[in-house]
Amino acid sequence: MRRRLVLLAGAALLVLAVLASLAVGSNPLTPAQVWHALLADDGGTAASIVWDLRVPRTLLGLVVGAALAAAGVLLQALTRNPLAEPRILGISAGASLGVVVAITLFGIGSLAGYVWFGILGALGAGLLVFGVAARARDGASPVTLALVGAALDASLGAVTAGLLSADTRTFEEFRFWVVGGLTGRDSAVAVQVLPFLLVGLVLAAVVARGLDSLALGDDVARGLGTRVGLTRIGGGAAAVLLTGAGVAAAGPIAFVGLAVPHVARYLVGTDQRWVLAVSVLLGPALLLAADTIGRVVALPGEVSAGIITALIGAPLLAILVNRAKVVSA
Amino acid sequence: MTTLVRAGRVSFLVRRRAVTVSLVLLALLAVALLFALCLGKPYVAPGDVLRSLSGAGTPYDVVVQRLRLPRAVLAVAVGVLFGVAGALIQSVARNSLASPDIIGITQGAGLAATIALTSGAAAAVIAPSALAGGLLAAAAVLALGARHGLAAKRFVLAGVAVAIALRALTEIVMLTAEPIDGQRAHIWLVGTLAGRGWTETGWLTATLVVLLPVLFWAGWALRTSAFDDDTARGLGTRPVARRVGLAAAGVLLAAMVTAQVGAVDFVALVAPQVARRLVRAERPPLVAAALTGALLVVLADLVGRLLFAPTQLPAGVVTAAIGGPYLLFLLVRRKP
Repeated sequence: MRRRLVLLAGAALLVLAVLASLAVGSNPLTPAQVWHALLADDGGTAASIVWDLRVPRTLLGLVVGAALAAAGVLLQALTRNPLAEPRILGISAGASLGVVVAITLFGIGSLAGYVWFGILGALGAGLLVFGVAARARDGASPVTLALVGAALDASLGAVTAGLLSADTRTFEEFRFWVVGGLTGRDSAVAVQVLPFLLVGLVLAAVVARGLDSLALGDDVARGLGTRVGLTRIGGGAAAVLLTGAGVAAAGPIAFVGLAVPHVARYLVGTDQRWVLAVSVLLGPALLLAADTIGRVVALPGEVSAGIITALIGAPLLAILVNRAKVVSA
Repeated sequence: MTTLVRAGRVSFLVRRRAVTVSLVLLALLAVALLFALCLGKPYVAPGDVLRSLSGAGTPYDVVVQRLRLPRAVLAVAVGVLFGVAGALIQSVARNSLASPDIIGITQGAGLAATIALTSGAAAAVIAPSALAGGLLAAAAVLALGARHGLAAKRFVLAGVAVAIALRALTEIVMLTAEPIDGQRAHIWLVGTLAGRGWTETGWLTATLVVLLPVLFWAGWALRTSAFDDDTARGLGTRPVARRVGLAAAGVLLAAMVTAQVGAVDFVALVAPQVARRLVRAERPPLVAAALTGALLVVLADLVGRLLFAPTQLPAGVVTAAIGGPYLLFLLVRRKP
């Protein structure tokens, strides 16, 4: 019962975030105006603001927020690591590098083209971070894994920055993309990313039960009839797919995948299917809220959503690091 | 292994290996500097470089003396300060990962300097505000992460979190600034040596000269800080006060460099560790760390200048590309 209520509250929160994202900005609209513009695209100022500017980025926020939050749930479950998150593990940085390589070296300009490079980059970085962590003395330690990810994030980020600054044509366009945000993408982007999100979410839902038993340790999981290897591969593939697609669409937005699963677990317990469901609602709500805040804190300028989520997420990371559980986990 | 050197009433121990390593590093640095003056467009032959430097007057005087020399000297200064800062802070924390650019100190200095730059403050205010920012960031990291001791990886990760938050704040300050100030701050922040020279070098050299007595004291104090606190107290020293002093000197150096050239990341992490391995010491040696840092920054700036010529890659990008894998290596290696 309580879980259903949480789910309902999450959905309500998401609706609020969507409304705010449609109404708030340098040209604020009342909810009534938004409603009117949504129902009838009469070509007026309010309608053009809503349809041309705010609907595309709101849709993008919905898709990317859900993808990153689900990726965070999967990574935290797979690594049994409360600090795991696409950005912290360096997987987002791998996806960014893949996208930038596609754009600067192969001249691929459309999302449908470079999203594959993003997924490939995410896969490469994921394999690298786990490979390196496995070789470390205390590789199983969450803090070590997170530090390996941070190192990977820094070096891949440097290569990305290098490629971008070597190519002045793409630099101006992608300087903002590298920070992570929802601005300046047309509405086609959200639609193009949607299939990847759906495939990733279905895969995640399929392996969620397996992840539950994986939390008890490999041996117990096997005893419970879970196919451990298959669950890991499926979960990993879903995480890579979601991260790669999310980053290709909106840049490496940090900490959505860290904060949301923790809140979800606090609300509904450890059942991964519920955590996943709540996260898919709260992820977009957080990202849209961050984007909306970013529009108004620095008027007349705009602060990318990725910067706001970093500001929200960094203190959370510091708190999690200090918790005793992190080491014994 | 060590030699006792006496000069009047003062006597100190010198590790022979440290001296050898430092001399080799010095020679390598000289070669790297020569490369930095020769390479690029136009190429200047080594003979012409030397002739130009000796004031003989060559057609390359403008290129060598106005463009390349100031930048190369600045690279040396940046590397020296970052190397020493990293060695001091890593030694105090007894943690090879706790370098100022990882745990948020340079990012704090960067944030404060950005605020100063974009609020139209006078140039003289930038350095002090960077210093204050670095100290505040250090205090924040200590408050957040020191509960489990400075040697723990948790402390480092708490610092990483602080660094991320500070960088995000810096971006916001830059975005809210007037476009021209924001542009200035952005150029400043990427950690490039392009278009910089004697002014910045002057500031850094002044810092170094002012802090020289402190550094001599530090070289001596670091020896006893290797003991645990009780032993150190038993030897009649005040370990806590000493550690605070050493760390403050490190923060001061790191903040000053960041104020002048921005974020040349990972030098403060890598240089002391490489130096420590070369000297085979248990703690990062100050002189060797300074020379390694200088060599690293000179080479990074050179690579950044040549790799995608005519586009110049900021030195900070090159050092991060080198430093990230090195950080991975530090995490992976089997022996502590």
